[in-house]
Amino acid sequence: MFKLFKTIIKVGTKTTIKYPFEPLDVCDDFRGKPEHDPEQCIACGACTQACPANALIMETDIENNLRRWEISFARCIYCGRCEEVCPTNAITLSQEFELAVTNKADLYEEANFTLAHCVECAEAYAPTKAVSYVHDLLVQSGLDRDDPYLSQLLNTCPSCCRRANMLDSRTLVHGQYFHDALANDSLACDVSADKVFQQERSNQGE
Amino acid sequence: MKGIKSLVGNDHTKTIPVIQDANFKKLKQTLLKEIKRSAYVYRVDCGGCNGCEIEIFAATTPVFDTERFGIKIVASPRHADILLFTGAVTRAMRMPALRAYEAAPDPKIVVSYGACGCDGGIFHDLYCVWGGTDKIVPVDVYIPGCPPTPAATIYGFAMALGLLDQKLKARSHNEAENEKATLKHTGIPLALKTIIEREARLLSGYRQGGILADEFMAVLAKSTQETVDANLKRFLSEKNDPRISEIIEILHHKALAFMRG
Repeated sequence: MFKLFKTIIKVGTKTTIKYPFEPLDVCDDFRGKPEHDPEQCIACGACTQACPANALIMETDIENNLRRWEISFARCIYCGRCEEVCPTNAITLSQEFELAVTNKADLYEEANFTLAHCVECAEAYAPTKAVSYVHDLLVQSGLDRDDPYLSQLLNTCPSCCRRANMLDSRTLVHGQYFHDALANDSLACDVSADKVFQQERSNQGE
Repeated sequence: MKGIKSLVGNDHTKTIPVIQDANFKKLKQTLLKEIKRSAYVYRVDCGGCNGCEIEIFAATTPVFDTERFGIKIVASPRHADILLFTGAVTRAMRMPALRAYEAAPDPKIVVSYGACGCDGGIFHDLYCVWGGTDKIVPVDVYIPGCPPTPAATIYGFAMALGLLDQKLKARSHNEAENEKATLKHTGIPLALKTIIEREARLLSGYRQGGILADEFMAVLAKSTQETVDANLKRFLSEKNDPRISEIIEILHHKALAFMRG
């Protein structure tokens, strides 16, 4: 009995967390409600691919020129995979944990994005924001902002690009590493050899 | 199905929740208003992984102590005011769950607990899973989380008893005209950014690595060649973590090596 009193005095009465009456301290790495910033989102769909619980979905509605993104906090398992893969930091797991609801519809969040249309075939091929983000990235990596090739390449759909490349190989835009390699002359001979080979083949075909 | 004549239909796989009497809804309101005693909770496990159960018991321990509010776990549904359904409702547990629901005296409050209880969680598309408590019984409160923390559990209970209000609201965003995602750390060359992010994620795991690389690049972007060392030192002393110091040091070496070419 004496021992029990001693323990009680030692432990004190402050064992219980006063949570609903006082805000709770959550640790820095706590994974709470995924906070989505729709302005920063480029609707690339990386998070919907990474989500193990299919809590994130994305669907394309060509008729209404819309791409709809939706998260269900009901199904979300708060793993943070979406945060890992997001290229623009549009989705981050916050410290918010008070997510209980009485109305299930409040567990859903959605965002609608418009689609970009190809300049040649006028078909929707990517979200507008993704295209402008790629443009910004390419400009940052050293391409000229006013380069007509750049805007033409970005504003045509992949199948039209492929068709154009088949007709004219000069329209190919290579990455920075390819240009570096060309400058070092290590790839130049390979490429020229390849071209000669292709020409021979086309001649034979004719 | 093309060319295949449906013999039995698919009614046997459709889920129809138990229909609630309008009088019970009224009774529930009076119960919430005039409850002058403890609220007893009965926990129904409909095929969960027991993560939720562990968190429920954590909520009843002296640290979080739901018994402050008179919320107590009971052993029989006949004593219960609140029914707590965990798990994704498997085929085998559907009938026992319904029996527990019927056994509890009216008016009863049904709480759907955890990601599986709310919407099936990661098991939502399994063949033997009904996917959510609301597929079999009418639900009053949803507590999402995988599993919900004890604090979230207390918040959910408080909401079920009408003590606290709901914070989460449904949100819908439509793209505005000329809305654009901003590029971060534009002062740093793209190739260096890639090196930093790759190395940080290799060293400290994917999520933490991403955060560390972001913070490191923020320090780099705002400092010049002369101030970068002092800024990094201040950043590390603020963090006061030997693990972060080591990672940032390695990142700094990589960045310097890149700049030297």
